[in-house]
Amino acid sequence: MGVGACATRLLADFGAQVIRIEDRNRLDMPRRLPIYKGEARTYGEEDANPDPNKGGLFNNYNRNKLGVTINMRDPRGRELADRLIAASSVVTENFAPGVMERWGLTYERLRALSPEVIYGRMSGFGHTGPHAEHRSYGPVVQAVSGLSHISGLPGEEPSGWGLSYMDNEAAFFNAAALMMAIYSRNTTGKGSEIDVSAVEAGINLLGPLLLDVSVNGRSTRGPDFPPGNRLEDPNAAPHGVYPCLGEDRWIAIAVFNDAEWLALRTAMGEPAWAAEARFASQTARYANQDELDSRMAGWTAGQDRFVLMHRLQAAGVRAGAVQTAEDLNETDPQIAHRGTFFEMDHPVIGEARFEGTPIRFSSVVQDNWRSAPLLGEDNGYVFQNLLGLTADEVETLTAEGVL
Amino acid sequence: MAPPYAGLRVIELSDDPGGDHIGRLLAEMGALVIKLEPPGGSPARAVGPFAGGVVGPETSLNFRFYNGDKQSVVADVATPAGLAVLHGLCADADIFISTLQPAALAAIGLDLEALRAANPWLIVLSVTAFGLTGPWADYKSSDLVALAAGGPLNSCGYDDHSIPPIRPGGNQGYHSAASFAHIGLLLALLERQRSGVGQLVDVSMHEACAVNIELANPYWFYPRINVQRQTCRHAQPSPTQSALFRSADDRYVYFALILSDPKAWASLVDWMEEKGMAADLADPAYADLAYRQAQFPEIQSLVECFFLIQTAEEAYHEGQAHGLPIGVLNAPEDLFEDEHLKARGFWVEVEEADGARVKYPGPSYVFSAFAAVPRRRAPMLGEHTDEVLARLSEAGS
Repeated sequence: MGVGACATRLLADFGAQVIRIEDRNRLDMPRRLPIYKGEARTYGEEDANPDPNKGGLFNNYNRNKLGVTINMRDPRGRELADRLIAASSVVTENFAPGVMERWGLTYERLRALSPEVIYGRMSGFGHTGPHAEHRSYGPVVQAVSGLSHISGLPGEEPSGWGLSYMDNEAAFFNAAALMMAIYSRNTTGKGSEIDVSAVEAGINLLGPLLLDVSVNGRSTRGPDFPPGNRLEDPNAAPHGVYPCLGEDRWIAIAVFNDAEWLALRTAMGEPAWAAEARFASQTARYANQDELDSRMAGWTAGQDRFVLMHRLQAAGVRAGAVQTAEDLNETDPQIAHRGTFFEMDHPVIGEARFEGTPIRFSSVVQDNWRSAPLLGEDNGYVFQNLLGLTADEVETLTAEGVL
Repeated sequence: MAPPYAGLRVIELSDDPGGDHIGRLLAEMGALVIKLEPPGGSPARAVGPFAGGVVGPETSLNFRFYNGDKQSVVADVATPAGLAVLHGLCADADIFISTLQPAALAAIGLDLEALRAANPWLIVLSVTAFGLTGPWADYKSSDLVALAAGGPLNSCGYDDHSIPPIRPGGNQGYHSAASFAHIGLLLALLERQRSGVGQLVDVSMHEACAVNIELANPYWFYPRINVQRQTCRHAQPSPTQSALFRSADDRYVYFALILSDPKAWASLVDWMEEKGMAADLADPAYADLAYRQAQFPEIQSLVECFFLIQTAEEAYHEGQAHGLPIGVLNAPEDLFEDEHLKARGFWVEVEEADGARVKYPGPSYVFSAFAAVPRRRAPMLGEHTDEVLARLSEAGS
């Protein structure tokens, strides 16, 4: 759903002319999800006949791109797609495996249309292997790759992920793969087909735990795993998320050594319990975490999470308030200073906020030239100016349901 | 054909998994990555788990995971001599990776802007907790703190909100920073191909997390709602039904039952009928969405029972065969047996310094134009010091 759009957004942000092809009759999911101004709905509560230009998620994923519509069930539509490919140097897709092949759009065919093309194929399981045709989206990829299983309280059902982390990460892997292929082609002149499996990207993100299993035969089933908010390696303690003033408000605190513990003790005002022998060393604190966590929670409860975060940071203790999207957008001074988010107008939605890029460059510049295209907004420009059709031809193709 | 980073020289000064991981991503695609370590070894070497449970700088699996294919050079950049080595190596390098925050840079007298000015070709890739500028630039972080302050943690945990948000495993705050570092670096490399000049690329883990919270941002941008965390499924404006189902073999599958999708509903009922578990769900009354919605609790109970009579593996593949996006919750140990990964040749064997052959995850991407770079073991501490410093002194003489 978001992988392809999010990957090419990174290229569009930095000057690539990205043309997004859509189907009027099968609206892109982010156009349908009811993330609208002024309406509080879960994403499952879709409109039966949504306004395709009103969806916030689509706007978020498709800024700085051109948008066209093509009906690929019509041979004239497929011919136009071929002509667009011939005019392009990179083609990306994230359909279920087999869809592009049914349209004849294999790598060989693409190379015939556009010599030394880069063909980025973004799927859940990759284009070979017995499960290549399995369906997936973020939560399925997170489940199959192991990322969900390793997250949660010991012996409880996994808490996993509350977002499609792997839609985003797969998009970042794909964007990097496209740019690597472009970087290489710039010197060698050679194109490439790229097969990125989101599940394989997810396995690469499991971290050192995977080697504990591979090398030491460690089991991750049983009553002692996953570790919740505690850290197995290194033996940090306290290392947890503790309650603060307000409803469902929390602070994360992480102490990795004795110096940080002494700093925390001072910041806490040297309570008697903190001086007890069972908390005197990192090893002792790690062994007595149940008691330590309950003492920590007793201390943080009732305190403002931001006041506490700044006080602890000033004392040299690693601490961070658990921030909501509202906090990040409205009050976080670091985000404000760095200019992470920005705003652009949209003809239907109006002024909207966007996630920027978490990177500051000394010379590369992000070009935010438009919000997401309306459905088929750039049919005129792309089919006339880029492909050379006449206005009459575009009008006829539109009337006949090809565009 | 040579992999994309063949011929690139990278100097890595990293004291956290974010810097280690971006270095590894470059080595994976053919760059020569020289890791500078203090005499006692990189902090990563002190972090477990350890091979065979034996604690030591050469047995850290944390170090091995993030440092395959790199070279190790001991240089104490806290001393003038060590800093001189760093400057010397940067003189003919393409990329310098640094994880030092501003105060730490100042403490050892390393000025990234000056380094760049002295080496116009060099791309300086800074990957830090909060970025090099701003009021929090020197705040201390960790993976948990980054995920908390950056936003992902607010979406992760359990339905029961008396339980705090729970950190998703595997260093994902650092991994998010490394993903963006890779993209930033590529943009700088493409720019250098055109202009012949490098630049400073300043990546912030805090911001990387803040733009990596998926729907939580648009739910704030548009309806101005903060999403609420739920057990192993999307945080949403209001509660939705559980998507985690227990199987006969005491594992779990993920399956989000979207009642409003008639095709998915028909597939599910077909599948349940095949197993004689559909009860009255094939009754025509269920063809009506409003009826299905009214019966949701009963439907959910039937589906729970349905999964309880089959193994997770069975449910995964049969559900997929019925066109349903269902996933088994694999444990890491299950992955090594997965037939799909085996058929793709995903796992690679690496010979460690002690002769052990160990399975590592394979390449993150498959290109038709270049073969995967053979994965080599992580270096021993200072393994390449003599060779690299000899080359440096030749270049200087």
